[in-house]
Amino acid sequence: MTTESEEEQFNAQVGDHDQIWSIIDNALLGIGVTRELGYMDVIVSVEAGEVAAACAALRDDEESMFDYLRSITAVDNMDEGMEVVYHLYSINKKHDLTLKVFLNNDSLEVPSVTEVWPAANWLERETAEMFGIKFLGHPDPRNLLMPEEITDSFPLRKDHPLAEIEVLQGEGMGYSGEDA
Amino acid sequence: MVEIVTQSNVSAGDFETQDLLLNVGPQHPSTHGVFRMVMTVDGELVKDVIPYIGYLHRGAEKLCETMDFRQGIGFMDRTEYLAAFNAELSYVMAVEALADLEVPERAQWIRMILIELNRLSSHFMFMGAFGVDTGVFGTPFIYAWRERETLIDLFEEVSGDRMMYAYFRPGGVAWDVPVNFVERVNEVLQSAEQGISDFDSLLTENEIFVARTHGVGAISAERAIALGMSGPSLRASGVDMDIRRDQPYLKYDQLDWDVVTGEYGDVFDRYYCRLLEMRESVKIIRQCLDHLKAGPILPEKMPRMLRTPPGEVYVRTEAPRGEYGVYMVSRGGNRPHRLKVRSSCLSNLQALTELTVGQYVADAIIILGSIDIVLSEVDR
Amino acid sequence: MSVELFGLSFNPWADAAIRLQIIVGFMTVVVMGLIYAERKILARFHQRIGPQRTGPKGTLQSVADAVKLVGKEDLRPAAADPWTFELAPYFVFIPIFLGFVIVPWVQGWNVRILELGILYFVAISSISIVGWLMAGWGSDNRYAIIGALRAAAQGISYELPLVLALLSAAMIAGSFQLDRIVEFQDTVPILVWQPLGFFIFFVAALAELNRTPFDIPVGESEIVGGPFVEYSGIRWSMFFLAEYAGMLIMAFVGSSVFLGGYAWPFGEELGLPFQILISAAKGGLFIFLIFWVRASVPRLRIDQLMGYSWKVLLPFSFLQIMINGLVLVYDLPHVVLLVTGVALLGALFWVTDGIARRPLQPRRKLARVLAVQESEG
Repeated sequence: MTTESEEEQFNAQVGDHDQIWSIIDNALLGIGVTRELGYMDVIVSVEAGEVAAACAALRDDEESMFDYLRSITAVDNMDEGMEVVYHLYSINKKHDLTLKVFLNNDSLEVPSVTEVWPAANWLERETAEMFGIKFLGHPDPRNLLMPEEITDSFPLRKDHPLAEIEVLQGEGMGYSGEDA
Repeated sequence: MVEIVTQSNVSAGDFETQDLLLNVGPQHPSTHGVFRMVMTVDGELVKDVIPYIGYLHRGAEKLCETMDFRQGIGFMDRTEYLAAFNAELSYVMAVEALADLEVPERAQWIRMILIELNRLSSHFMFMGAFGVDTGVFGTPFIYAWRERETLIDLFEEVSGDRMMYAYFRPGGVAWDVPVNFVERVNEVLQSAEQGISDFDSLLTENEIFVARTHGVGAISAERAIALGMSGPSLRASGVDMDIRRDQPYLKYDQLDWDVVTGEYGDVFDRYYCRLLEMRESVKIIRQCLDHLKAGPILPEKMPRMLRTPPGEVYVRTEAPRGEYGVYMVSRGGNRPHRLKVRSSCLSNLQALTELTVGQYVADAIIILGSIDIVLSEVDR
Repeated sequence: MSVELFGLSFNPWADAAIRLQIIVGFMTVVVMGLIYAERKILARFHQRIGPQRTGPKGTLQSVADAVKLVGKEDLRPAAADPWTFELAPYFVFIPIFLGFVIVPWVQGWNVRILELGILYFVAISSISIVGWLMAGWGSDNRYAIIGALRAAAQGISYELPLVLALLSAAMIAGSFQLDRIVEFQDTVPILVWQPLGFFIFFVAALAELNRTPFDIPVGESEIVGGPFVEYSGIRWSMFFLAEYAGMLIMAFVGSSVFLGGYAWPFGEELGLPFQILISAAKGGLFIFLIFWVRASVPRLRIDQLMGYSWKVLLPFSFLQIMINGLVLVYDLPHVVLLVTGVALLGALFWVTDGIARRPLQPRRKLARVLAVQESEG
């Protein structure tokens, strides 16, 4: 999917992408992935069911050693489902990885990676309450930021209504509607 | 005082003790904002801690999705009000990466100076608040405010605001710094260095401070990494990780400075790492001043309304409290499709339970203080 | 039987009551001055100005504080124990004021001269712990009860070094009667013979007064004021008044016992005005030291606090008493006291420094808690 000039730019900024690919391919042996080049890292997508296994493999493999979980979040693509995004980092090897999982709107479930990185605990709780994604096997699936009784409303989804004042923020500036 | 009977010849019914559920916060002088933790205490020992956050949740990420790229800058200030330049930096760097903007030299150096000065002011704030947490009546706090005041005055001269600067722009900075900027920075640095030494003699060499902080709330390097801690809190455990050096942005790779790491990962190390880091910051700023040359501060061709091609980017910078990341997804147009702020405080705060269990109630307070949270960044 | 006061003769009880009344009135004014002084002095330590708007140079600040406190609503939590809650301030307040009975301000200015003056002082001042416990228990607040229990534990532990330090001074002076101790010092203050005793007394006094670094029962940053957390208005101000009155009495007892009170130097010869001056100066110095400590050191933790009393201060004060006994029994020259006192003080500092710098085993306590949990579960 990436063009040649993008690859060159990536090589200049981050390091040889072929080498990074081979490391990740080795680590993720037997797990189906799709891959593309990101801004400062490579982006790997795996199936929802395999994410915990993939994360464990990426952490334990001696070449990849992704021992540090930076963040977990999700992106709402509306009709095209949602993606859960994991940002990984290796403190020893000093390389990053973006791991993605695409979910269909009818099955918003993904295995929890709290076993792999304890850091995932709160990050998954936040993602779950904001997007309504279920993290299977999470040890403490309460709400993190929102009141505990709100479990049917997911504020960061695109279809969540904005308050009146929030809608106004982008409008009345002379360019409203241009980018709709 | 509290002696736990481990082996005894009395039956369990003779001494029936009950654990006490102690609710700390959201209104409490030492929770550094609106943070609540429910502690189960056995006498003076903490047996369990359950943190509750979210009192300051304003949906910053959602709001930024409704604003164009320039409006979002102001909102980033409000997520991390003690180090707003650092927060802005992550955001504008994300926009620059998406829009493929080249930042002029001078703007980069100005940014470097300002974020390091902001690191100083943020760490001063930590020193003061931490001194109060350990129980000194006000002295470190007022000393810290004195130093912070000079820094904030400088920020006001540069940006026009004391806390919510909104000074960085995608592509550079909003306007050039005042003409006497270099002299003013030198002045401020001198007083800041004096302030750092003041803290060194006020706290670091204070026997009671040492007795209170040594060996308290220690965490091993492995656990700190696994729990996703970052910044000085992680480096105190001996992990040599600093994004400024490992994945350099701006001009950090051209300067001569050191990463400070601790040894034991206890409260004292977390405090002392910050103190030494301030000295490094002073060093960095001095070098930056030498590099500051006249030149443009914004790219020559800036569109009136910034639009980015579709794409996604995760930008991380080393903010005073750790890694402040911005994950931005664009579907084209003038506003982000999704903006995620990776908060260093949120991840650091996760370690609180592990750090606190088994310590005294009084230590729980200084452990919380030593993580140095900003609640508006935790909740966003 | 009658007693003379202001040239009139009174019934002894009426006389004592009048004298105590004068002291209470006088003290209230002095305490307000002290509060102002503390605000100003701490402000200087903080490099700020302090109160300056109320009255000239802010001198009326304490009056403004008092008016505000009296004007505030006297709240009582719904679940509090009404009797315990409302009586607690008196139990803190009255014993401390009763302590003023024995203080020899200047020659002949006191309420009563008691033969066992020091013992009376120690006994009466420890009653206020009951008041702290009542405040903590009656408030129905968990912070308050933790603070009250801390106060009780701390008060009892530091009572011992305090008594022993006063006792060692009394041994040298040969009397428990405060004015005799003062007059004993008309040439050399006991501080010279008992430097260790003075240090122990000062530390224990800080602890008895719950001042920094021993203010853990109040623990502003952890238990938010401890037993006082539910009090407001006039009742809270009684606690506050008692705290400062306690500081004052501790300062004057300390200066009488160790610094020579009104007697040293030249107090006996130069007469009353000079005695007033010198007595006030010594008390003021003592109080200034307390403020100074407050502005510069953090708070100790409960285990360190208890450990320091039982493991360090208590053995050292016993050692001091033993040396005093040897010197007195074998009639050794007093210079021995000075030398051993300084040496022991040095040893005490060395031990204290060692305790502060000893790296603790960080997870030791966790292991203990987990072991208990396992054995229970």
